[in-house]
Parts: sequence; structure tokens; C-alpha cells
Amino acid sequence: MNPDKVRSLQEVVASVPEGAHVALGGFAISGCPIAFVHEMIRQRRGRLTLSQAVGGMDTDLLVGAGLVETLIFGGGSLDRAGLLNRVNEAILLGRVRVLEQSSLAITLRYHAGALGIPYIPTRTLLGSEMLEPLVEAGEAEVAEDPFEGQRIVRLRALRPDVAVLHVQMADRQGNCRILGPTWDNLEKARAARRTVVLTEELVDEQEFRRSPEGTVLSGLYVDAVVPLRFSAYPTACYRKYDYDFEHLRRYATLAQTEEGFAQYLEEYVLGTSDHEGYLSRVGEERLRDLVADPERGY
Amino acid sequence: MGRSQGYSPSEMMVVAASRLLRDGELVLVGLGLPQLACLLAKATHAPRLRMVLEIGVLEPEPVDPAIGIADPRLWYRATCHTSFTETLGILLQGGRIDVGFLGGAQVDRFGNINSTHVCEDGRPVRRFRGSGGACDIAALAGRVIIITPHERRRFPERVDYRTSPGFLEGGRSREAAGLRGGPVHVITDLAVLGFDADTREMRLISVHPGVDPEAVREATGFPLAWAGEPQTTPPPSPEELEILRTRIDPHGWYLR
Repeated sequence: MNPDKVRSLQEVVASVPEGAHVALGGFAISGCPIAFVHEMIRQRRGRLTLSQAVGGMDTDLLVGAGLVETLIFGGGSLDRAGLLNRVNEAILLGRVRVLEQSSLAITLRYHAGALGIPYIPTRTLLGSEMLEPLVEAGEAEVAEDPFEGQRIVRLRALRPDVAVLHVQMADRQGNCRILGPTWDNLEKARAARRTVVLTEELVDEQEFRRSPEGTVLSGLYVDAVVPLRFSAYPTACYRKYDYDFEHLRRYATLAQTEEGFAQYLEEYVLGTSDHEGYLSRVGEERLRDLVADPERGY
Repeated sequence: MGRSQGYSPSEMMVVAASRLLRDGELVLVGLGLPQLACLLAKATHAPRLRMVLEIGVLEPEPVDPAIGIADPRLWYRATCHTSFTETLGILLQGGRIDVGFLGGAQVDRFGNINSTHVCEDGRPVRRFRGSGGACDIAALAGRVIIITPHERRRFPERVDYRTSPGFLEGGRSREAAGLRGGPVHVITDLAVLGFDADTREMRLISVHPGVDPEAVREATGFPLAWAGEPQTTPPPSPEELEILRTRIDPHGWYLR
């Protein structure tokens, strides 16, 4: 019998050290590990380095709460619900250090970390203004391909301390079924020293063993499984529930100012004791309305 | 131009972009006008064109309007859901993407694109979405088509921040940096533009029907010469408009 990796959200968050490098699994308005981020804010786990190819509501909340020192990312947005207002303001005011790079660059850096190699060559970033700060920070260098003599960029491997993914289904050993596109999630989960998955559904291991070809991420990479319903809300969870556009819009509007953001945090995060408290603030009726159509997946 | 001619500026942009796509091409697209241009090309002269969304979605057939590429509405009826490693790594960097579409806050004289921030007095004052996969597309696609509204502030001499490389400083500087490909066309609500083969400066290829070339120059922050003989963009055909309005965007979600 394999060890049971199911943990409470509180204990998983309590185990994230101050100053940790955390790789978040969201992409704009989909798949953000919102419940994890809320608990990080409640427990004030700070001085973080965050990495992610495309930032979403998860990143904006943590940066807005003042818990982030360094951002390693490729930008982001809330799609047409708005921009990452807290992230953008923090960067403009110099409150976070930012190392911007492209989605491919970050994905490849995770992949190098996962493969256990020190760096990975690529042709992206050449000609972009994002390259020079990375070179200055010792994260990249321009080099010559030793075989063909072409100009390439060597990107340093990324090994987050903790990767946090949101998935539809996992078993107690952390084997995951991830439905829909995975952007940079598998690469970061395999690169990280520890990986945490928030799962909508806890599935019996025997069910996975009956069709192992459907396992997208092996439990070998996963250290903790946190089963929590609607743990990506108000972002979307493909085939489970839709994003809540009105909630996202309201958030984006409030997050234009520090005061508005503080009001949002008070209402939904600090003023609620846990994830269920947050969901009851949102209301069961609202959640029911978002449940995905089984054919369309949203 | 516009309604009085029986079509909107957005319809003209989609039609102009669709005509630049060839049958059988693999195209990396975003939400909105580029997606419509691909669908129109598929419905007309390029039935074997295939679309890739950078998030990891191949050949989708969406039926509902989406708010971005992270919206599952855009992933509907795809042939495959996959990852950045596949879309941006294996397909794009691997040299399999023929055309990439890009937009941005600013496009400059040499087709460099800024989607990161704009400056006042040399200091960043407003930030946008950043790169995501945009820099990857600009660096690695076979050719790039830029779609953007034509306004003077969006067409500066130099971008405030070069998120995505075009022809850098012009001439051979893109090749010297180690890059192939590059922007080939810029489609705006006023005109179709291209780039000079030697200097790599942006040039005017055609103005849309009813547009005064002077108005294009006024809406551009750098000198704009004709690429060849002054031309007018052929207007959308009745067939193209019919397909756009009845099959591709029947509810006017993107084109109105």
C-alpha cells in the first residue's frame, strides 16, 4: 500500500516556508489554484518568488497581498475581464522584482529542471528586450551552438520549491487526470522539489489502475493531494465548472486601487475562515449555475 | 469607409488577413480577428488550413464566443488538447508553424511589437499583458501577420519596449541576431502594409477603399512610402461577407 498523500489545505500551506519559490498552475482565467492562494494570504506566507508562464488571478491575489518579492513570468491578464492590475502596479512602483520572459522560455526552463540538466538551449528571446535583464541576472546567456554555429540562448533550469496545480481528478497517491490543455503545468510539476495538487474529485486508485493511459501526471511527482470542491473558483475548471465572469469583472474593477483590493480581500479571503466559508460567501446557487455542460465542458 | 460601403472596418481587416493565408498552412492564432480570418480562409480558398492555439489546443471548432484563449469555449471540438512544449516548442520552435498572428500596444517602423508597457519621459507608466507566447511567435514563426487598429500612438518610430522582435534596427539586424522569418504584413483598419526587402522599413501596400493615403500617414508616427504603385485593397466580396455574417460570426460577437 502506497502512502496516503491526502492533506488538509491548512497543513499544506503551513509547510510552505517564507521566501519559497512557488510555481502556480493557473493561466489567466482557467485552472488557478485559488483556494491555495487564499490560504497563503490567510497564513501570510510571504517573501515569495513566483513563477508561471502566464499569470492569472492566482498571481494577482498574491502580489496584491504583498507576499511576493520576485516574479518570474511572461505577463498575464484576466482575459477580457481585465488586466492583472495588482501585478502591473507593483511592477511599475518597483514593489516586486520582475524577470519577464516568454511562455516558451519558462516552459523550457522547467523542463530542464525536470530533466536534471543545468540549462537548455533555445532560439526564442533573441531580439527581445526581455533577454538582457535575464543575462544580467545570470538566468540566461547568448551562446553559439557548438555543432551548427548558430546563435542560441542558454536558459538556466528552473526548480521551484513548490509547484501548485489545480486538477479535475486525483487519487490518494497523487496520480492526476488533467482534462483540457496543460500549458506549462506538467513541466513545472516535474521540475519542482515538492508538488501539491488541489483536486475537485478524489478518485479511487483502482479506478486509475483500470485505465492508466489516462493518467497525465504520475503520483511519483506529487507530495500532497488536497481534495476541495470549486477550488479554482472564480476561474474555470474545464469539464467541471465555468469561470464566473461577473465575479472576475468585479475583482478586476476593485483591484484597480489598493483600497478596492483590500475590500475584496476582506470580503472573500480574510473575512472567511476557510475555503468553505469563501464558497458560502459566493453562494450555492451561483456555484450550481456554473456547473459545466458535460458535452461542451464549460 | 465603413458602413456606407456595406461592410465594417473589422470585416475589411478579416477579409484582407484571410487572403494572405494559403491552403494547407499551420497557423498559430489568438482570439478574435485572426481566428475569424483563419475560419474565412478555410471556408473559401484554404480548406486544409489548420489552427493552433498556444495554450495547447489544436484545430478547435468553437461555437460560443470566448473572452480569451484561457476560455474553454475556445477549446471546443479540438482534435487534441496538449501543452506549451508541443505548441510553442515542437510546433513553433520546431519550424512547423507557417504563420503566426500578433497584435500589441505598439508596432514600430521595423515591425517590432510592444505588448509590455508604454513610457512617459522614459519611465514605464502603463503595463499591458506582456509577452506570453508573443515573443516566441515573433521569433520563431515562418512569417508573422500583425493585426492592429491604425492610430498614431500605436505606430511610433520606435516601440517603448521591444517585447517581440520584428526587424530590430532594420537591414540585416534580425538575421544578425540569429533569427529567421519576421513580420510580412500589417493589417489595420486603414490599410495593408508590408516591409521593404532591403531596409526592412514598413511600407504601404494598399489603402482600404475610401481611405485617403494621407490619413494613413497622419495615423503613423514615421514616414511611410508606398511599396510599389499606389493600390486600393480589393473590398470584401459579397460571398466573403455572406460567409462571415451567416457562418463564421452569425451573432456579431466579434465583428458587430
